[in-house]
Amino acid sequence: MTEPVLSQAKSIRLVLVDDHRMFRSGVKAELDDSMVIVGEAANVDTAITVVAQTRPDVVLLDVHLPGGNGNGGSDVITGSAGVTSESGEPVRFLALSVSDAAVDVIAVIRAGARGYVTKTINGQDLTDAIRRVADGDAVFSPRLAGFVLDAFGAAAGEVAVIDEELDRLSAREREVMRLIARGYQYKEVAKELFISIKTVETHVSSVLRKLQLSSRHELTAWAVGRHLL
Amino acid sequence: MDLVPTPYELPPSPTGPGERRPVHRLQRPVQGRRLGGVCAGLADHLGLNVRYVRLTFVLSCLAGGAGIVAYLFLWALTPQGLDVTPVAGNEGVVVSRPLNESMRNVVIGLALLGVGGVLFAQQRGVNLRLGVLIPLLTVAAGAVLAWSKLDDAERDRWLVREGVVGRRAGLVRLGIGIALATVGVVVLATQGRGLVGLWNVGIAAVAVLAGAALIAAPWGVRLWGDLRLEQEQRIRETERADIAAHLHDSVLQTLALIQRKSADPAEVVRLARSQERELRGWLYAGPLGSKASLASAVTEVAHEVEDLHGIPIELVVTGDRTLDVGGAALVRALRESLLNAVRHGAPPVSVYVEVGSELVEVFVRDHGPGFDLGDVPPDRFGVRESILGRMSRHGGSAALRRLERGTEVSLSLPVTAESPSAESPSGGRPDTDARPDRVAQPHTEGTR
Repeated sequence: MTEPVLSQAKSIRLVLVDDHRMFRSGVKAELDDSMVIVGEAANVDTAITVVAQTRPDVVLLDVHLPGGNGNGGSDVITGSAGVTSESGEPVRFLALSVSDAAVDVIAVIRAGARGYVTKTINGQDLTDAIRRVADGDAVFSPRLAGFVLDAFGAAAGEVAVIDEELDRLSAREREVMRLIARGYQYKEVAKELFISIKTVETHVSSVLRKLQLSSRHELTAWAVGRHLL
Repeated sequence: MDLVPTPYELPPSPTGPGERRPVHRLQRPVQGRRLGGVCAGLADHLGLNVRYVRLTFVLSCLAGGAGIVAYLFLWALTPQGLDVTPVAGNEGVVVSRPLNESMRNVVIGLALLGVGGVLFAQQRGVNLRLGVLIPLLTVAAGAVLAWSKLDDAERDRWLVREGVVGRRAGLVRLGIGIALATVGVVVLATQGRGLVGLWNVGIAAVAVLAGAALIAAPWGVRLWGDLRLEQEQRIRETERADIAAHLHDSVLQTLALIQRKSADPAEVVRLARSQERELRGWLYAGPLGSKASLASAVTEVAHEVEDLHGIPIELVVTGDRTLDVGGAALVRALRESLLNAVRHGAPPVSVYVEVGSELVEVFVRDHGPGFDLGDVPPDRFGVRESILGRMSRHGGSAALRRLERGTEVSLSLPVTAESPSAESPSGGRPDTDARPDRVAQPHTEGTR
């Protein structure tokens, strides 16, 4: 997925947080030259220090990490609250997980991550996801889209009447989520729905906001009940 | 395409005549009984109206009490039924009785017998020293109540089901038990003495108890702590042994295999993928429902195809329902679509299954060069028969569309409609685009 819309020229300053050194070096090898890795960390406390010192654009964050209060990636996000990148934007977090357990994913998203991808993602897609997050957009994997459809009851046909409703998806957001769950890239979603990529990004960001702010009580219960997806 | 049956064919429904019926034994039903359930059980057993049976018993009582004797005889010899099916003649009154009712009956019976025996003995002039006996009995009753509470608590802890209501009831019982026992002990201790004597005895008892507790406390606490520690360690060791055994049987074996087959990248990927899945299932396996659910059948099919061809399949499922005949057909069509995607398309292959309240939708997407149905030679049955035909036979529909990159097969099956028999005519299937909540489809290919 290469998209001309995204800013190609700007290099992105990146911090890798993962407790597996092998995985960190694997990611480093896969990313292209536009990514500059300014720091690495293997646990929550080092991660918070490194993020505060280096002020990166994006933090690639493993969901499961030792240290902190025992909440892994979520602790890094809460511990780095208020830190800005060198260009003055807030530091953005992209969660990267092998676990796929709904509880972990929902927790790290609700803590403030801008997106979630699985560790099996290929290099090109990871690069795109990082760029997107750096631009302030949200990144949803098909699996996360499936989580969202399930958790908001959208799969069962519940749709918000007004867009501002926090506990349900709007009809358009549901369509976007469904297409992402079907494996469509943002570009393909845009083409399918006759809207611009920017509009797709707006919809996804709004879903992310709902996921972070909604007090929908089923959300937590659902995540706990669903150990594996 | 092969027509190997998948394991998701439903077994034929067991409605044939001559199916074995459960042996019908005379039992006293729990529901619909008036006294001991003898009449209800007898009526059920003989296929008679329960009212006539009851009337017969009542009338036969007039004949020198024969009915009573017969009733007691049957009551003693007939086991209580465990099934909760309502009995004919039951006026819709559902009487729920706790399982330990018989236990309670026995206790009450014994108590009545005891009281009767005591009264009888007293009448015959035997001095039973009721002043001692009654406090003793009170202590015993209190102890039984308290101990049964402890027993319950232990059982609950093992079964991990501590309802708040149940716990409160248990505490009340424990309190009553302790109070009873205390009163009994005090009355026993103050035989023939007044309240002042009671006071003195009470103070002395408390002082002795407090002293003993003070001396024994540190020792008891340490003993308790040691015991807990030892228990925890043992549990942890058992868990560790379990994990080690599992890892040895699965991960280590796979790692050894991977080392041996390191020259074959496809095989290595396949091994790693299936091992990952297995480990994930072991780690996160939760209450995911029975085997016969649509979601688990879909997952199993995706894994099967993945194993068969070593191409990863990204599967997303939302919602779930039980697997019926239509669902089984959908799963088979999905399998065929996946095989197509894996053989003729290119990875990544993604599957999205949405189980809604009215419609089950499945999307299979690959990133291959794509193909039109018109290009498929008519002698190839895979797409036409196994996917399109199968779906329409079960009241659903299937569509094939070519994307810029790859092909997408979409299957849909209405949930509410009864699945018609497999031989329904192929005409008159619902059109794919007639569905209300369908995502806009600007370039749908000819579907059939």
